[in-house]
Amino acid sequence: MIPSVVLQANDWAFVFANADYLLGGTVVTVGLTITSILLGFLAGFPAGAIEVYGDGYLQSAVRTAGVVLRGTPILVIMMLLFFVVSISSSAFVVATVGLGLRSAAYQSQIFRGALQSVDEGQIEAARSVGMSHRQAIGYVVVPQALRRSVPGFQNEFTIVLKDTSIAIAIGLSELLTRGQDLFLQGGHSTATLEVILFISGIYFVLTFVTNRGLDRLDDIYAIPSGENQ
Amino acid sequence: MSDLLRVDDVHKSYGDEEVLKGISFEMDRGDVDVLVGPSGSGKSTMLRCINRLTEIDSGEIYLDGENVTTPDTDVNALRRNVGMVFQDFNLFAHLTARKNVTLGLRKVKGLDKAEAREIADAQLERVGLLAQAESYPAELSGGQKQRVGIARALAMDPKLLLFDEPTSALDPELVGEVVEVMADLASEGMTMLVVSHEMGFVRSAATDMFVLDDGKIVERGAPTDLFENPEHERTKSFLQGLNSAHGGDG
Ligand SMILES: Nc1ncnc2c1ncn2[C@@H]1O[C@H](COP(=O)(O)OP(=O)(O)OP(=O)(O)O)[C@@H](O)[C@H]1O
Ligand SMILES: [Mg+2]
Repeated sequence: MIPSVVLQANDWAFVFANADYLLGGTVVTVGLTITSILLGFLAGFPAGAIEVYGDGYLQSAVRTAGVVLRGTPILVIMMLLFFVVSISSSAFVVATVGLGLRSAAYQSQIFRGALQSVDEGQIEAARSVGMSHRQAIGYVVVPQALRRSVPGFQNEFTIVLKDTSIAIAIGLSELLTRGQDLFLQGGHSTATLEVILFISGIYFVLTFVTNRGLDRLDDIYAIPSGENQ
Repeated sequence: MSDLLRVDDVHKSYGDEEVLKGISFEMDRGDVDVLVGPSGSGKSTMLRCINRLTEIDSGEIYLDGENVTTPDTDVNALRRNVGMVFQDFNLFAHLTARKNVTLGLRKVKGLDKAEAREIADAQLERVGLLAQAESYPAELSGGQKQRVGIARALAMDPKLLLFDEPTSALDPELVGEVVEVMADLASEGMTMLVVSHEMGFVRSAATDMFVLDDGKIVERGAPTDLFENPEHERTKSFLQGLNSAHGGDG
């Protein structure tokens, strides 16, 4: 039970007085989500393709990297990159690399599954009109696989959005960090719950809106159903 | 050498199982030959060896006098000349009927958009589907899908068209529209090698019928001859089975 005494009007007034500060953190959160998802896509899509079509050392290297990244807590990845390897002094850059690589490891699995779900007959038909293997993959398999990836991608997007909050561990001034700044200020510990409720609301609105947006994308680009689904 | 296609002593094994045990035949330009035989006899394998979706183990295949089974044969060039129509259509699911036809023209033949579209529309018209040019495969009936599949193959202007059981995935009432298109092609002089048990098509359009059994061509001849006096017991029982299954004329 929440003691009614903590939900006080003056604590809410404190939250709203600092709304600008929190919205600034929201901008960082959104920015970090976008850069991380983008890095995850740029690395994850080729990685998924290599897992399906590649061979030799490259394929085993990609597989191993994926297994390691998926098997390591994101908090550990981020602290390693920031405090041990120190790839950059910018917490934003480090957070992007950590979240981006981890997301690449998951996005590669989304694309791998999608590529493998496209019927072999599609490739045979493409090759039968004289396309090379590469053309068949590029013009026939990939476009279908990308469309089939949207639901998995949607899921990944919300996970990355929420996991940006882990950047608090390396001091990045994103939404959760800024919320904590507020209630750790002297005399405002009574506003802890109000601050957390407020930023939770922001996370919820962000995930809700992006999910709706991606639903639309799915509707627009879905392959008319019935065939090879 | 005037044969359009010459298949010479082709062997093919999958593991220990020899599927094609020395197949030889030839086709003249304009021939419409039909391959029949029991399930597993190697009909699909034979067709797929001709456009090299499957690689042969030994023997030779000549298209228009040129050996197309050498290691340095350009398989993509070979496949531009040999169209294939599949049992389960294999239309590109993400593309409209028109784009199914234009894709090869654009990416393989390098035509520009307008040229490709012109050819595609002419071929769709030829199979009676110009009105469905903007439809996606999932929005077409089986018979329509197969006709798009034929238009897609025709658009590349092949020397030879291969059909692997083009009507066997269709509801019976849709078989006729596909057979009709194939019969038209036959009468226009297209060279076609067809795996089909559609006896209506065989009787009306086939030059020769090959009976394949256990990886060998056991009998070859004009359909009427084979139906009336098959030499081999195997042919007789196989054709009788077909006739009773298809009510005599498919
Ligand atoms: N890719 C493959 N790998 C292994 N065996 C295969 C492969 N393709 C075909 N076979 C085997 O080769 C034999 C001939 O197959 P094929 O598909 O050519 O027969 P078919 O005459 O077309 O039969 P159906 O009438 O059922 O289509 C079968 O025993 C089949 O199991
Ligand atoms: Mg077959």
